[in-house]
Amino acid sequence: MSLQPPRDKRASLADVVALVGDGAIVALGGGLCARLPMAMVRELVRQGRRDLHLVGSAHSVDVDMLVASGAVRRIEESYVGFEQDLGLAPAYRRAAEEGTVEVAESCCATILAQLRASEMGLPFLPVRGVRGSDIAGMHPEYAEISCPFTGETLVAVPALRPDVALLHAPVGDRYGNLHLEQPYVLDERFASASRLVVATVDEVVSTDEVVAAGVTIPAHLVAAVAEVPYGAHPSSCYPRYAYDRAHLREYLTASQEGADGLEKYLASYVGETEVSYRGAVGEDRLAELTTWSRSTSAWQELFA
Amino acid sequence: MSWSIDEWFVIALARTIRPAETVFHGFGSPCAQVAMHVARRTHAPDMTLIEGAMYAVNPDPPFIPPTSNDASLSRGAAYSMRFEEFFDAAIRGDVDRMFLSGGQIDAYGSTNVTAIGPPGRPRVKLGGGGGGCNLSATIRALTVWTTRHRPGRTLVGECDFITDMGHRTRLGTRAELGFTGGGPQWLVTELGVFDYPDGRARLAQIFPDVSLAEIRAATGFELRVAGDLRQVPPPSTAELAAVRSVDRLRVSAQEFSARELDRVFERESSQNCAC
Repeated sequence: MSLQPPRDKRASLADVVALVGDGAIVALGGGLCARLPMAMVRELVRQGRRDLHLVGSAHSVDVDMLVASGAVRRIEESYVGFEQDLGLAPAYRRAAEEGTVEVAESCCATILAQLRASEMGLPFLPVRGVRGSDIAGMHPEYAEISCPFTGETLVAVPALRPDVALLHAPVGDRYGNLHLEQPYVLDERFASASRLVVATVDEVVSTDEVVAAGVTIPAHLVAAVAEVPYGAHPSSCYPRYAYDRAHLREYLTASQEGADGLEKYLASYVGETEVSYRGAVGEDRLAELTTWSRSTSAWQELFA
Repeated sequence: MSWSIDEWFVIALARTIRPAETVFHGFGSPCAQVAMHVARRTHAPDMTLIEGAMYAVNPDPPFIPPTSNDASLSRGAAYSMRFEEFFDAAIRGDVDRMFLSGGQIDAYGSTNVTAIGPPGRPRVKLGGGGGGCNLSATIRALTVWTTRHRPGRTLVGECDFITDMGHRTRLGTRAELGFTGGGPQWLVTELGVFDYPDGRARLAQIFPDVSLAEIRAATGFELRVAGDLRQVPPPSTAELAAVRSVDRLRVSAQEFSARELDRVFERESSQNCAC
């Protein structure tokens, strides 16, 4: 695929997400509870996508919600959960224990090497470690090789080329230039390793504004961009909003209850559109999440 | 002066950091995270502290939030690494120490954060290892830790699944596997501190309100005890002040069961507070 030509790439969220096919290898941007492409995740649920193969590093509510809604066939992430704070991811855990999804747990640096191979147009790259870990046993596609120069044994891991990367940014322009705040996690690598990159931004701004903030992902790698305010909620998207810990708790309670709880959550929140989602969460609550920058005590309050 | 077990535990972790080391903690581990800031504010001001999921270098966070990917954790840092900059540094051998924990930990310091029970059909699917199965091979020294020793299910004879490699796995020793890092150096639990004199855990220090019999009962591998077994040295005023100012939200206490948090100590006797 050649680079994306410069053109106005703005599209509706529904049209952007329609570019993700059933069975696609999907790279999820962001990490843990930060800058997750949640508006696109919710839209995948609304559109009833199936058989997705998710790849990434350490994730949480994005993966759990896709698993809970039956959208996932295979998961190749390094971690799925809510850290020590809110614990294990209920739907992910249940699906793994019942065998209703394939879990090929991976490791951050291994996924990084696989993406770099894809970026460089190479069939594989060698990695250190992995040998002796049972993670290797979950990946029959890995192979041991000898270094032709030193004879050292290394693990060769194949190039990973996601069909589509879903990225969320606080701001971007109509052409798809995106500015991200650190940590970028794997977003830059996903952007050049994937066949297709689609994005949501909290706000579409002028190119000058994105350039002034710093272009992290350039337009020539991005195929489509949808403006979705609070598109990462309930994860954070700095410098705009902190994560919504209370909402994550509510989601987790629903996910722990199983099918009934999830159905209620999906009906109450995911609904028909992002407009109804923001209405259900409440504009006041969303505005509260932007108050982190007022003072240290205001910031701390959000984590209470 | 009195202090609780979570504070003392974090201080015991901090003491495993040596001056001038480059140190990293994984996500979701506030005890290790707070310990690094305590070390930097006490005995290791010249360490290079790489902040968990932010990859910020030497930040001064205003508080520790309950998630390790939050902008508060890069405050005061002149630079944050990219994800790949950190992993490259760790794999080429430029990171001296990492903190690792696990749902299961064996005598060689291998850990399981993947699944309890048969891996194909686990009884409990844990969150996963993040970067551990690469990093445990190449980082120079590992401080392994758990706050869940007492219930008896964490220190095991054999891990159901090895996510991160210790001094030996079913496939061989670190030398046989070609790892460039030195492996586990310390294992810190809420009951005591172990070292690895010959690649196997050995109890070297014990908290004063715990008996050897309790530790033996809670340990699934054969308990070896150092000839010069000592009490964990009590916290200094500076160490306690550092813990309290770093962890204002007391996020690190989240990692302990309620029962453990009742353990309170005081300076005079280092015994359980009688009050």
